[in-house]
Amino acid sequence: MDNAIGITNLTKDFGAIRALDSLNLSVESGEIFGLIGPNGAGKTTALRIISALLLPTSGSVEVFGLDVVKKPAEVRKIISYLPEEAGAYRNLSGWEYLHFMAKFKTDSKDEIQRIVNDAAEISGLGERLKDKAKTYSKGMKRRLLVARALMTKPKLAILDEPGSGLDVLHAYHVREIIKKYVKDYGVTVLLSSHNMLEVEHLCGRVALLNKGKTVAEGKPRELKEKFASANLEEVFAKVVGLA
Amino acid sequence: MLKGFGNILVKELKELIRDPKILLGMIIVPLIMFPVLGAVMNFSMQSAQEQAQKATILVMNNDRGSYSQVFIATLNSSMRVFISNYTDPQDVVNQDELSKYNTTQLIEIPPDFSANMTQHMSGNENITALVKIYSVFSSAGVFEGIGSSMIDVFIGGFNRQLAPNIVYEEKSSIIKGQIKEGVDPGQLSALMISQAIAMPITIMILLTYSMQIAATSVAMEKEEKTLETLLTLPVDRFSILMGKLSGSIVVAGVAAIAYMIGFNYYMGSFTSTFQAGTSLDLVSLGLVPSLFGYLFLGISLFVALLSALAMAVILSAFAEDVRSAQSLVSYIYPFLFIPSFILMYVDINALPLAVKVALYAIPYSHPIIASRAVTMGDYWTAVWGIVYVSIFTLVIMYVASRLFATEKVLTAKLKFRGLRKRGKKAVQDLE
Repeated sequence: MDNAIGITNLTKDFGAIRALDSLNLSVESGEIFGLIGPNGAGKTTALRIISALLLPTSGSVEVFGLDVVKKPAEVRKIISYLPEEAGAYRNLSGWEYLHFMAKFKTDSKDEIQRIVNDAAEISGLGERLKDKAKTYSKGMKRRLLVARALMTKPKLAILDEPGSGLDVLHAYHVREIIKKYVKDYGVTVLLSSHNMLEVEHLCGRVALLNKGKTVAEGKPRELKEKFASANLEEVFAKVVGLA
Repeated sequence: MLKGFGNILVKELKELIRDPKILLGMIIVPLIMFPVLGAVMNFSMQSAQEQAQKATILVMNNDRGSYSQVFIATLNSSMRVFISNYTDPQDVVNQDELSKYNTTQLIEIPPDFSANMTQHMSGNENITALVKIYSVFSSAGVFEGIGSSMIDVFIGGFNRQLAPNIVYEEKSSIIKGQIKEGVDPGQLSALMISQAIAMPITIMILLTYSMQIAATSVAMEKEEKTLETLLTLPVDRFSILMGKLSGSIVVAGVAAIAYMIGFNYYMGSFTSTFQAGTSLDLVSLGLVPSLFGYLFLGISLFVALLSALAMAVILSAFAEDVRSAQSLVSYIYPFLFIPSFILMYVDINALPLAVKVALYAIPYSHPIIASRAVTMGDYWTAVWGIVYVSIFTLVIMYVASRLFATEKVLTAKLKFRGLRKRGKKAVQDLE
């Protein structure tokens, strides 16, 4: 398999605070990779650097062979990023929002319509797509944004807490959609989550981050065996010395 | 080069136009506010006229009779009076006598004044006495017409003391050193009020609202958490910046039209005080900007608007939400308001050098200065202003584009003294 993401000795400082400390990570093409860790572990910072939003203090990040510092515009063409606390434009309807986003992918009206139709299906919002985004509940907004992130079938989808704010049924629906897009369209997914159950069900491999460093990495089943734990939560607690 | 620009522009317009805050604040309020402001100003103007006392006036007395002495003595009781030795008003103007006595008003008492007064007092009421009033017009501000209005009030009072309608006045204006016979300075001032106050107010409001819109547009992206997504899309950052600036300019333009409609009502209520039935042709008096003048004025306004918008975008990049963006932008307001108010009432050339330099240094003064300058035929002032503001704008635009091209648009925050804890919290939020 190709290397979708290659992170080497990635360090990021915000003033005196070190958010990432010589992070090394490799994500293969076509897999669903999960970053897990507590608040302040550096998950979002890592995702933002991979998305060419932030610059590394040192180290390198490559997305499908493209350096995110040297070729950010090229990277943006092949990725789709869903921030944890993303919102939609209040005064645009769901349809208008999806059209607005689809137009950055292609100029073809047919292609735009196809992309938006796909997004409508992913979101499951139906007729509510005609309403302005400011009338949506938190869960509805999240479904719209997940749909936006996947509708263009990017080579790499970077999803920060994709299930955030979703109820059990919709979280399940979104997980199934993510699996479908990986299987059917070869999309590579890098996601972060606090929800260990979500990660266990969804990810082929995971990395446990703590204080800006990878403390464990591997398949969920292998990690559970290695640390003699019932679930990833327990693995994490043992790795950071809380259990 | 600007791929995605149109898409962003359309989105910006939809977002801005559909915002009820903008509709209410920029379209509805001005339509109500200006007629009310007009009524208030009208009242204030009348009060100012009535209360203005002890103003300075130059009198050219060509009459040797006793009634002219009575007239001057009465005049002296309410104003500071200086007597000119000249006999021709044009000589007074040519010799700069008015500046010498620091006045803009000249009263000529013709040779037959006392004779006509005597005849009138003897019962021949068809014969009346004339005084000629000459007022300097320099397009200097709102209350330029007050001086001649005070003389109206004085003559009305004088007539009430002696006999109704015994003295009548004939008004002329002194424009660019030339006496324009029969041009009523009060009426002229009323017509020119659009130059004196409409421009500063309109420019001030246009710039203020444009800055608010631009700042809101960027801060709303931050507040609604849409900026991060936008910055990861395959679109040039400069297109995002230009889309935001252009959207703000279009909405501000619509707002300016709404303001001008409201202003029209305001003007109607203001000028009605001065209507005397005669019509004035500002074009023949040389008091209307030429085509070039309007062109320079338009360019001056555009570059000032662009610099204000770019400045607002930069400031709002340091804010976390709409409210803090608007607070940050409000720091610029004194630089908009102070020049506007000063130039509304005073001619820039009459100011001390330090104040003059300070006003020239503020880019937002230049459209107002240009509007005055082009009216009086001074194009170079407008051109130099455009050059200065353009350079200023280019620097600001460069800074704004650099800010958008880097992570600073997401991470930048103004740190104030004593708020270091808040700064640290912001960093933690980023993690």
